[in-house]
Amino acid sequence: MAVIEDPVTEQVPVAEDLFRVTADGAALVGTRCTGCGTHYFPKSLSCRNPRCEAKAVEQVDLGRSGRLYSYTVQAYRPPALFRTDSWAPYAIGLVELPEGLRVLAMLVGSELSDLRIEMPLELAVHVLYRDDQGRDVVTYAYAPPAGGGAS
Amino acid sequence: MRPVYVLGVGAHPWGKFPDKPQLQLAIEALTAAIADAGVGWRDLEGLVAASSRFEGGMGWGLHANEVMQAVAETGAPAINVGGGCAAGGIAVHTAASMVASGECEVIAALGAERMPKGFIPRPPGIPDDITDTDFLRWVAVGATNPAYWALEARRRMHDFGTTAETFAMASVLMHQNAVGNPLARYRTACTVDDVLRSPTVSDPLHLLEICAVSDGAAAVVLGSEAQARRLGGPLVQVAGSAIATGQFGDPAVRIPTVSMNADTSVQHTSEVGGAVSAALAAAGMGTSDVDLLEMADNSAWHVLAWPEQFGFLEPGQADWMIEHGELGIEGKLPINPSGGFLSFGEATTAQGVLQVCELTWQLRQQAQGRQVPGAKVGLSAVLGLGANGASVVLKA
Repeated sequence: MAVIEDPVTEQVPVAEDLFRVTADGAALVGTRCTGCGTHYFPKSLSCRNPRCEAKAVEQVDLGRSGRLYSYTVQAYRPPALFRTDSWAPYAIGLVELPEGLRVLAMLVGSELSDLRIEMPLELAVHVLYRDDQGRDVVTYAYAPPAGGGAS
Repeated sequence: MRPVYVLGVGAHPWGKFPDKPQLQLAIEALTAAIADAGVGWRDLEGLVAASSRFEGGMGWGLHANEVMQAVAETGAPAINVGGGCAAGGIAVHTAASMVASGECEVIAALGAERMPKGFIPRPPGIPDDITDTDFLRWVAVGATNPAYWALEARRRMHDFGTTAETFAMASVLMHQNAVGNPLARYRTACTVDDVLRSPTVSDPLHLLEICAVSDGAAAVVLGSEAQARRLGGPLVQVAGSAIATGQFGDPAVRIPTVSMNADTSVQHTSEVGGAVSAALAAAGMGTSDVDLLEMADNSAWHVLAWPEQFGFLEPGQADWMIEHGELGIEGKLPINPSGGFLSFGEATTAQGVLQVCELTWQLRQQAQGRQVPGAKVGLSAVLGLGANGASVVLKA
């Protein structure tokens, strides 16, 4: 019996412990303070709230959805640390999360001219480039909800 | 605490100087400041230098030691202070504190910088993982510094209806002010059309609405009232100075982070706002006592937003002010008569010292070509990596 090669290209995150893909879709990997409930992204060593004495944090998934607080279209290619196979001007958003955080992220799945402050967004995984082992290197990004996202 | 006075100021012009080492820029600026004060190297009872990560300082940020070893080995204390791009302001505050405490009669503060070209690279030896947000902002988002300022600018358009033309007017004003300043790097006046036709960098900001990086150096000599009176120059007092760090919940899009716990009840850019408030309090003054600001305008957005955030204007008021010429040299609240970062380019650690030099020239009525009429009180404000802020209030 012939072995059928997996047609799905293996994906690796651009940085470990930054986000993960679960049965419910992508989620950012962050922390939540067990004392004051403040969320952090990426994972924090401690709680930064000066009014909180607990300073104990636990890992949580967060940021599955949010709203666009602001955005920019980056017209120049960033320095080489930012690696992408398909360079074109792209949007960076500041996304307001229900967990009380604003997160910086690439915006995908939308025409640049369709971006609107306050538009609803969902977390997605975006392929930046294919590495020399043939794997897709992916980052977290936000995109309009698949169903059109009326709200 | 006793009063502190500016005895002398000096600066090397801003630009690109591939043939001049950082140490030479430093020595030239300090030599000019000492000459302006009318003191000698042997009179300095201390030297406070802003530590740079780019050049000089023997790789340990020992920039004050390096200057003293090169020019005058007097045995006086060398103090090297870090603070990213706010280090120059922190150096001035430190020097002022050493005079105020009675530790020194005469002391100098120095910032000198030669910047690498283009985007500022990450320091060597930092791990490539989630513990370094400067790594994450590049690899995961590709967020350049102008992208952070652009996110603020876009939000301002949403909140206050600021237009692309109004942002462009901020750039036009900074370039107009610099025409009269021989220390500035870019001294050609431009129009709103020129700004809007310059290439878009991070929408809505254009090339002429963000600061370049430059080489430059500035120094100030501070001293006691007795020294100031002995030297007989025009009396300019350090009425107040302060440094601060950022507060939890600050809604600013802080470089190089990728997230923030935004709490709208916390002051925006609180490291600078905190320093400004504390410096004014130390001076026993309020915002209405200030005749002019020298503040870090990394982008056109800063020119409009910072005076509002620090209480000099109401939120959104800067648009009307700039459209009516009120932020200009002859206006109600002159911003950066020097021409600011947009006309100098940022020589990071030198910038906070240069601001104090410019305020001194303004209060002495020596700012030929850019003089704010009758200026009596000036305030500086500068921001640095690590959520550092510094502010100095000078009074004639």
